[in-house]
Amino acid sequence: MTAVRSLTAVADWRSWAVFRRNGLVFLRNWRTAVIPPAMEPVIFFLAFGIGFGGFIEDLDYRGTLINYATYVAPGLIAYTGFGTPYYEALYSAYVRMFYQKTWDGILATQVELPSVVWGEILWGAVRGMVNISIVASVIAVFDLLGVVDVRLEFLVFLPVLGFFAGCAFASFALIFTAIVPAIDHMNYPVFLIGWPLSLVSNTFFPVEPESAALRALMQLNPVYQLAECARGLLVLGNPGSHLLGLLGSTALFLVPCTLLSVRLTRRRVLGD
Amino acid sequence: MTTAILEARDLTKSYGDRVVVDHLDLSCRPGTVLGLLGPNGAGKTTTLRMLYGFVPPDEGTIYYGGKRFSENRAEAKRMIGVSTQDDSLDYDFTVAQNLLIYASYFRPRVENLEGRVSELLERFDLTPYADESPHVLSGGYVRRLLIARSIVHRPSVLFLDEPTTGLDPSARLDVWELIDGMRADGLGIVLTTHYMDEAERLSDELLVIHEGRNVVHGEPHRVIDSVLGDHVIIVPRAEPAREEIAAWLQDRGAEQVATVLGELRVPVSKEDLAALTARFGDATWQVRPPNLDDLFIALARRNGRPT
Repeated sequence: MTAVRSLTAVADWRSWAVFRRNGLVFLRNWRTAVIPPAMEPVIFFLAFGIGFGGFIEDLDYRGTLINYATYVAPGLIAYTGFGTPYYEALYSAYVRMFYQKTWDGILATQVELPSVVWGEILWGAVRGMVNISIVASVIAVFDLLGVVDVRLEFLVFLPVLGFFAGCAFASFALIFTAIVPAIDHMNYPVFLIGWPLSLVSNTFFPVEPESAALRALMQLNPVYQLAECARGLLVLGNPGSHLLGLLGSTALFLVPCTLLSVRLTRRRVLGD
Repeated sequence: MTTAILEARDLTKSYGDRVVVDHLDLSCRPGTVLGLLGPNGAGKTTTLRMLYGFVPPDEGTIYYGGKRFSENRAEAKRMIGVSTQDDSLDYDFTVAQNLLIYASYFRPRVENLEGRVSELLERFDLTPYADESPHVLSGGYVRRLLIARSIVHRPSVLFLDEPTTGLDPSARLDVWELIDGMRADGLGIVLTTHYMDEAERLSDELLVIHEGRNVVHGEPHRVIDSVLGDHVIIVPRAEPAREEIAAWLQDRGAEQVATVLGELRVPVSKEDLAALTARFGDATWQVRPPNLDDLFIALARRNGRPT
């Protein structure tokens, strides 16, 4: 029953009240909140896609030859879709929880803890949508310049897909937010989990493990599914089985991570 | 007598093998202040956290407005306002926006919210800072904003957890006035404080807890009288007969002989005071009414803690 309440809190007005609070703060500081973080994948695109890509021959993607910049563009969508909610739920949520005591204030109202967790998850996912939209706009410009060759009409679907996957990434990050003793300890989830996960998910280069177990494991990785879904849409206009894979792996991540986040956050914030 | 707006019966909470709150009863009526007192580690914070709904009690029941908290959680939380000891203001917003955003965490929505915010800014003397960040506020004004925020939704019960800690005497008096005003408005207030003068002057009833249990409960003067008696005598460190007086009082049954910075402090009855005057007429001492500081020292000694 508690688990059901924790999961259904996503539809509760309280979760959206927390989401709204974060959104209002974002709107006050949108320039600094959007432009620098969204520039990171753009710089990556320039450095890897165009710079590094100049030394790489065309790749065969599901029977279609594409240049490296075209290969890496959907990878950057996945990288952004993962990194933005993940780091938002790690650092920004930690600051709100620990330093600003914003959650303490909120919890002294009608808002319950699962709603605080969901508010942060939804907010992280929407931040992912925003940054994916910026990266998608940059990809569109490079498509018009002839640097990449993508199906522009499918770019609009990517923020929506990123939102669903972003919920899973934010819920995953909140587990660490609830347990790290101090903000310096965020280095563990950042460098030992975040970075490796964003690199071995067909974002910047194809990963084709020999082992069947590793291949199966990859199917459960929502970053990989997001990258392949975006690539399928942008290159072929068809995500193939990766759309289902993305929704399935997102659900597989989201449900246990949310339940665990609620449990651990309850222990940390409420001492229960 | 007015019906209690908050009532808790048999509250019990343990962490591991340690019983932190042990079958505690308390109640608070509209328009009154309940002072919840106890030394550090007495179980006050855990009691408050159960009353806020942060942690569930292992045993016992909490009622708000006569309804069980556990069964009417949302409705009950709409009835309570909480001003925590820590500064939990939202520094991403201005002073006025802090009130507005806080109100958004309640349903049904606050009626005439803009008017309510203006009213609170005026009443708490925060109007000049309405559009400023809370960063510009002094400690006293931060506390005003925290209290104003906690009543923006017009609750029936207000929890004030150490509302004057860290404030200068003038700011403390201002907060006292505000508390008094809210009580006059009919709010039931649960106050925790380490300032005994504050508890004594503001509380209509006191509940003193120690090791999670109700030690003494009632009107402040009755609480003090029931534990301490009529007077406290203070024998200065320089008084040569100090040790002799202490021994004499202990022989007469005085249990709460405390030494504070070399001074002897002993609660005594009228009869003991008369006998002491007759026996040690040449000695020097002061006599004053007992207060909550004496009560705390007495309770600590009773429970084996050094004073």
